[in-house]
Amino acid sequence: MADQPAGGHAPAGPATAAGPATAAAAGAASAKGAGAEYGVGIGWRPEIAGFVTELPGLRFAEVVAESVHAHGELPSGLEALLARGVTVIPHGVRLSLGGAEPVPGDRIEHFAAVAERLAAPLVSEHIAFVRAGGIEAGHLLPLPRTREAVDAVTANVRRVQRSLSVPIALEPIAALFDWPDDELTEAQFITEILDRTGALLLLDVANVYANARNRGTDPEELLDQLPLDRVAYSHVAGGAEHQGLYHDTHTDAVPQPVLDLVAALCARHRPPALMLERDGDYPPAADLRIELDAIAKASGYPAVT
Amino acid sequence: MTTPRSPGQPGGGPGGLADRQAALVEALTAGRSVPEGFDGFRFEAARVALLRKRAGEVSRQWPMLAAGLGDRWKREFAQWAAARPTQGSLRDGWDFARDLVSRGALPTMAALELAEREASFHYDGQSPPKPRRAPALRAIAGAVVLHAGRSTWIMRRP
Repeated sequence: MADQPAGGHAPAGPATAAGPATAAAAGAASAKGAGAEYGVGIGWRPEIAGFVTELPGLRFAEVVAESVHAHGELPSGLEALLARGVTVIPHGVRLSLGGAEPVPGDRIEHFAAVAERLAAPLVSEHIAFVRAGGIEAGHLLPLPRTREAVDAVTANVRRVQRSLSVPIALEPIAALFDWPDDELTEAQFITEILDRTGALLLLDVANVYANARNRGTDPEELLDQLPLDRVAYSHVAGGAEHQGLYHDTHTDAVPQPVLDLVAALCARHRPPALMLERDGDYPPAADLRIELDAIAKASGYPAVT
Repeated sequence: MTTPRSPGQPGGGPGGLADRQAALVEALTAGRSVPEGFDGFRFEAARVALLRKRAGEVSRQWPMLAAGLGDRWKREFAQWAAARPTQGSLRDGWDFARDLVSRGALPTMAALELAEREASFHYDGQSPPKPRRAPALRAIAGAVVLHAGRSTWIMRRP
């Protein structure tokens, strides 16, 4: 690798070549309960709350952090899951960790309070930005893969970590476009951020698939370059092609190539948990069960349906 | 273009990450031109996908408005929203509905939904809507709604 990130941090490399920062992060995570195996889960949404509550084998779910009241009443479906002992992970979507502006203090406070409220063993957010110059983009936007962007993400993640008592996992996003001036490969960019923050990785298999397909690269090559021993859990979602580009919609069925990539990931290093992410156009319960079972089959975890 | 500098946060220098992110968000949401060096086709695909997603979110907050426009919903909302950055889906739908009223184009099916909200909340179009304390009567396209205390009465359906 000719253009490894400078600065004396562990370089991107095979999963087995974990640097000291990696080992420390993994150790801290398991000490706080994030090292347990959870199997197949699902993103909790109010529209499918009834379905999720009735999944007999469910051991973990994820909820959009911004949709949960930090101190008020929890939605009844979510309360029922917690009462059953299901682990619920708050997933932030609006912190804008990759923003050149510092994450506002009230957003950090809310995020940390929700983590406490749910007694979550870890939290997650994206390597992305969602606002700039006072305007909300309304969507997760990609960062340039530059050292300046690594510095910005690192500063914001550290700000958030100071308020958290549990580890944070960072999720690389799916992007339809790239910035014109990337200095680092995707694997270098991600690994550099994880090394400098000690964060865990939330690996979205559908994002890996979407980016590789739209860039014309091999998704398994990225898997080989990422520190898979630091994956806290994985997202699996559906998408669709429009005008030659694959859109990671979360409103379509999970396509077979994404399930194949789940199997390829698990053959290398199986994450402790994998979950279905569905965000609209909800299909009948039977179809959701088929998708959950397909993820179980591809990963080798027991079915939760 | 410049954005406020943030001490202690990298990327704040002139022409740095802050300015470039702001230019990108303006191009995506406020109708500004695509920043130099970006793939125009892919950027446009992202812009359109964003509007489609936004239309979906607004339709969940304003189901009767979306249903009233039917097949035209996504196209008409996207057209209206293309150069207006989101203020959240409640306010986006509210602003769009008021715009339709001003053009006499609000579907009858959506009149009651808007009248109920206009009667129950004070919304100045600039800041988040606040629940009304004083009684209010609102008539929108044939729907008449009275709000008093914590109750809302439909006086007339369109």
